Amino acid sequence: MNRTITIDPVTRIEGHARVFLNLAEDGSLASAGLVVNELRGFERILVGMEADRMPLITARICGVCPAAHHLAASHALDNAAGVEVPPAGKLLRELLYMGHIIHSHALSLFVLQGPDLALGLDADPAARNVVGIVKANPELAKKALRCRTLGQKINELVGGRGVHPVTSVAGGIAFVLDAEKRRILAEWSAELAALAPELAAAAKGLLLKQLELHPSLMQDWVAPLWNLGTVKDGRVSLLEGQLCAVDETGALRAEFPVTEYAERLAESVVDWSYMKEVRISHEGERYDYRVGPLARVNCADGFGTPAADAELAALRGLGGRPCHVTVFNTYARVIELLYAVERAQEIVADQAILGPARVPVRFRGGRGVGHVEAPRGTLIHDYEIDENGIVRSANLIVATQQNYVSINRTIAQAAASHVIGKGDDAALLNAVEFGIRCYDPCLSCATHALGAMPLEVVVTRGGRPLRTVRRNEQ
Amino acid sequence: MPNQRESPVDPGARAAALVACIGNELVADDAIGYEVYQRLRRMALPGETRVEFVGVGGLALLDLLKGDERLLVTVDAVQLGAAAGTIHRLSWDELPAAAACAVSVHGIGLRETVEIGRILYPELIPPVIRLVGVEGRCFDRMRAAMTPATAAAADGAAEAVRQLITTHEVQSDGYGTA
Repeated sequence: MNRTITIDPVTRIEGHARVFLNLAEDGSLASAGLVVNELRGFERILVGMEADRMPLITARICGVCPAAHHLAASHALDNAAGVEVPPAGKLLRELLYMGHIIHSHALSLFVLQGPDLALGLDADPAARNVVGIVKANPELAKKALRCRTLGQKINELVGGRGVHPVTSVAGGIAFVLDAEKRRILAEWSAELAALAPELAAAAKGLLLKQLELHPSLMQDWVAPLWNLGTVKDGRVSLLEGQLCAVDETGALRAEFPVTEYAERLAESVVDWSYMKEVRISHEGERYDYRVGPLARVNCADGFGTPAADAELAALRGLGGRPCHVTVFNTYARVIELLYAVERAQEIVADQAILGPARVPVRFRGGRGVGHVEAPRGTLIHDYEIDENGIVRSANLIVATQQNYVSINRTIAQAAASHVIGKGDDAALLNAVEFGIRCYDPCLSCATHALGAMPLEVVVTRGGRPLRTVRRNEQ
Repeated sequence: MPNQRESPVDPGARAAALVACIGNELVADDAIGYEVYQRLRRMALPGETRVEFVGVGGLALLDLLKGDERLLVTVDAVQLGAAAGTIHRLSWDELPAAAACAVSVHGIGLRETVEIGRILYPELIPPVIRLVGVEGRCFDRMRAAMTPATAAAADGAAEAVRQLITTHEVQSDGYGTA
C-alpha cells in the first residue's frame, strides 16, 4: 500500500513548497525532498540595464533581504570597475548591513521561529502561532520587536529612507554622515546593546529547553556536511574576505576569492524541482554543504567581539566544532545577533566613518563578481558589463539554493525519526516544518512564491501514492 | 512597536487614514499593490490620508502607524480563489490568516500583524481596518507576465480605497466595529 502525506501549509516561510517522501516497498525511506517553484526570469530582466542600477533593482527582488542584494551588487560593480572603496564607505556599508542583520535575525528568531522555540516540536499546530507567543510573554515580545525596529532604523538611516536601501553605489556610499545622524545612530546602537543580552539569553534558553525535551535533536538531527562561509583574519566576516570551505571534520579544504565561485560550486538540475542543487566541487569530487549562520561559525575561529565570542565558546562546548546539529543554526543566529549589535557600536564609534566614502567609477567592459554573507548564507552576484556600462549577462547564487541539498537531508531525517513505522501525521507535519525552518529558508528570491504558501508532503510507497494529510491553519 | 511614544494620541483625535500598499513591483500580479499605490498618489483623497508603499508589509506595517489613524486600509494581491482581477473588500472579520491569504509577508499576515499590534501596542491600532485585495494568479514570473485582468483592476481598486476613506471620514461611529 502506498502512502502519500501532504502537509499544507508550511507557514512562516515565504514561498510555495511541496515536500515529497518516497517510501520503498519495505516501508523504508527511499528519497525525500522539497519541491519549489522558482521565480523565473529575474536575471533576464537585468540584461540591457545600466550596471549602476543593479544595487537598486536587485534590492527590490526580495522584500526579505534587500540590503544583502544591495551590497552584493555593489561589491560586484566595485570588482567590475576595479576600484577599492575608501574606509568610510566600507564602514557605512557595514553599518547599514549590521542594521539589516539585526532586523532579519530578530525577525527570524522571535517571530518566524519563535513558536517552534517556545512551544517545541510536538506542540499542537493550532497553538503554534506567533500571536500566542506574543500574548504569553508581551514584555519579551516588545523588546524583540523593538530590536527588529532599531535594526531597520539603522538600515534606513544609512541606506536611505524607504523600503529598499539606495545609498550603496559602485565605488562606495553616496551619503555623508553628519554629526547629528551619527549621534542618533549611537543612541540606537546603545539601546540595542542594552536589549541584546536579554533577548539572546531568552532565545538560547528556549532552544536549550527544547534540546532537553527532545534529545533526538542532538542525536538524530545531525547532518555532517561541508560548510561554506566568508572569513577574514580568521574571523566571521559578513561583507569581505575569502570564501572558506571546511569539511565535515572541520578541516579547511579550500579557500578562494568569490571571483572563482563558478569553478568551485557546481549546479545540477533535478527533475522534480525548478530549484537547482549546488555542491562544492573539489579535486574532482562534489560535496554537499551548508551556508548560513552555522556554516559561518564552522568556518571561522570567532567573531572578534566579546559577547559573541563568549557565546560561540558556549555553542562549541555543547555542539562541538564543527557543529552539525541542524537546530544549532538557530543558536548561531543568536550569536550573530549579538555580534551585529556589538559591531554596530564599534563602527559608530570609529572616527574613520567620517572620511570620504566614495571613489569615482568607470566601467571599461568585463566581468564583476561580488558577494555578501546574507542572513541565510552566502549570496553571490555575477555580471558581465560592456564598455558602455550595460549589463550583458547576470547570474545570482542565493543562500537558500545552496542550502537546498542540506534542507532535503534534514527533511529525510525528520521523516525517518517521525514517519517511518509511525502513523502520526501531526508529528510528521511538525517535524518536517520544524526541520525546514531551522534553515529559515527564504524562497522568495531563490524561487518565488507569494500566495497561499502551500507545503505539501506527498508520501508514496513503491511509487504509488499512499496517503495525503492536510492541515489548515484555521 | 516601533516608535516608542510618550503620550498616546487621544482616541477622540483619531482622524487620519493610512493606506498601506503591499507588493513587489517587479513580480507579475504581485505588482498590483504598487500599481494601486501609484494611482492613489495622484488622486485627491479626503481628509488627512497617508499613502505608503511597504513592500512585503508584515510587521513593518506597525512601524507606519502613528496612533492618530481612524482607518487602516491595506492593498494587496490575494489568492482567494476568485477570478483574476476580482476586487475584494474585506473587513476585519473576513481577513484571512496568513496561510489562507495570498501574499504572505514572510509568514506574518495582516491579521497576525494587527493581532500582535493589539496585544503590544493597543494605542497604535486604528479602530477600523480593511483590506482591498485584488485577485492575482501569476506570482512566479516577472512583471511582463502580469495577468491582464489583474492589471486592469488597479483603477477599480484605487477607487474602492477612496470610497472606504470617504465612508469612514463621515462616519463618526466607526469605533470598535473593526
